[in-house]
Amino acid sequence: MDWKRTREPADAWHMTDDLHVEQGKGDPFAAAIRATRMSMIITDPRRQDNPIVFANDAFLRLTGYERHEVVGKNCRFLQGPRSDKEAIAQIRAAIANETDLSVDILNYRKDGSTFWNALYISPVSNDKGELQFFFASQLDVSDRKRSEHRITADKDRFEKAVKERTAELEAALEAQTTLLHEVDHRVKNNLQMISSLILMQSRTVSDENLKRSLGTMLERIEALSTVHRRLYQSKDVSRFDVSDFARDLISDLLTASGRSEINPTLDLEPIVIPAEKATPVALMVNELVTNALKHAFKERPDGTRSGSIGIKMSQPDGHLNIEVSDDGVGMADATGDASFGMRLIKSLARQLRAEIEWRDAGPGTRVVISMPNGPQPKGNQS
Amino acid sequence: MIEPLKVLIVEDEALLAMELETLVQDAGHSVVGWATSLAEAKDMVDTTQADIAFVDIHLTDGPTGIDVAEYIGDKNSMVVFMTANPKRIPDHFAGAIGVIAKPYTMSGLTSALRYLQEGVRRPPPTSERPAGFTLSPAFEMVWAPAA
Ligand SMILES: Nc1ncnc2c1ncn2[C@@H]1O[C@H](COP(=O)(O)OP(=O)(O)OP(=O)(O)O)[C@@H](O)[C@H]1O
Ligand SMILES: [Mg+2]
Repeated sequence: MDWKRTREPADAWHMTDDLHVEQGKGDPFAAAIRATRMSMIITDPRRQDNPIVFANDAFLRLTGYERHEVVGKNCRFLQGPRSDKEAIAQIRAAIANETDLSVDILNYRKDGSTFWNALYISPVSNDKGELQFFFASQLDVSDRKRSEHRITADKDRFEKAVKERTAELEAALEAQTTLLHEVDHRVKNNLQMISSLILMQSRTVSDENLKRSLGTMLERIEALSTVHRRLYQSKDVSRFDVSDFARDLISDLLTASGRSEINPTLDLEPIVIPAEKATPVALMVNELVTNALKHAFKERPDGTRSGSIGIKMSQPDGHLNIEVSDDGVGMADATGDASFGMRLIKSLARQLRAEIEWRDAGPGTRVVISMPNGPQPKGNQS
Repeated sequence: MIEPLKVLIVEDEALLAMELETLVQDAGHSVVGWATSLAEAKDMVDTTQADIAFVDIHLTDGPTGIDVAEYIGDKNSMVVFMTANPKRIPDHFAGAIGVIAKPYTMSGLTSALRYLQEGVRRPPPTSERPAGFTLSPAFEMVWAPAA
């Protein structure tokens, strides 16, 4: 574009005179508009189709048109096929309602190339409030738009990557959960098989001592079975509810012994422990309850051996306390530590870093266990 | 005395079927048949009269225990699932009474048999529901309505 030629065209002053009758030649305001690097036009809504009545040089440089090509025309020649319909509608509405508008719109130069135009339109009224002109300024914001597009594209790409990675991780987790269920299924089936083998074997044995021994073994394995059954019933496989376990265990052992004259007294807070502690805790409780069942109650003249067995579980300040008590004969006559059951209990206690104590409960025995246990997860206390 | 139950066992593990048969007989009931697959089970359902069928979910021909339950449907038997994977059972339980979770204990199973005998012969059952036994939602409503 020839700067010199467009700078002072013959009719430029005339145009300015047309605009503001009050402001003539040499008016510094009009001169500033003509010379500014900001593209500006003025349109006359009182004429047919709101034509451009003034366009500064910056507008001509921006759009590539000659002045005579734009003056007298409606601005819509700047629009093209990819101009946003919504933005066009906004411009129309602003003109119809005589309001300000600031909008980004894709516009076309004379040579067909495009640029992003940050358009500002404002109505100009005279003292009486009558609409005189529309003033419009154009700013080429193609660079900003490009980086905006790049940011959006980057964001889309990033979001897509995150989504893909999440899907991969979810699939991996699902595969692992399936595997866990499969392994769990096998462990449970095998425990069932082991119990079955012992049970079937013990039925063929006539020696009473051997039968009893197999019976004790079955009890221990069934305690493990009960742990496994309970462990995977809950949603969270890493935690184990000891109180629910104790309830299952005592009802199982009492039913199996057929000793309906023994009365269970349970005082169980809901307490969960980490899954890795489930087996040792369960085995320990099983040993203590079976001991009470087997040894605590002396036969009465009528052949019954009645009494009560209590299990109490509580959780004061980060500790798990378990008490297994009976109101039987007490342990004054007990033969010492040589037997397997006692050794097992004590070793399990060591493994759990638990303190265990046998107390004379007069009548009977009270075994008190206390071990560290972390804080309870939320929502598990009722 | 309540009349004992006639039991059909649908289980692919021979050892577990044997043990179950022993426990069923010890409790005074009788076993009318043992099937290890869907086909065998169908055949047995058609040719025998059972009060109750204990059905494992996983059989020799795949996870067809549900199909067995559906086949038994409203023929005269009732179904109790027996599985190490109770999560596999559909929500509607295919019409079954409930599920005995494996591994069960000897006394858990014996108690379940007593509970089921009461439920089948003189519903609703009066003895306590055994540990490891879960009722289907439908039977929960009939046999153990919330007080
Ligand atoms: N609650 C109790 N009341 C009375 N005596 C008990 C009680 N608990 C244990 N005893 C005594 O302590 C002894 C040792 O018990 P322990 O559990 O070690 O052996 P056991 O039960 O005889 O055999 P097993 O090794 O199969 O457990 C028992 O033989 C019994 O005399
Ligand atoms: Mg012992």
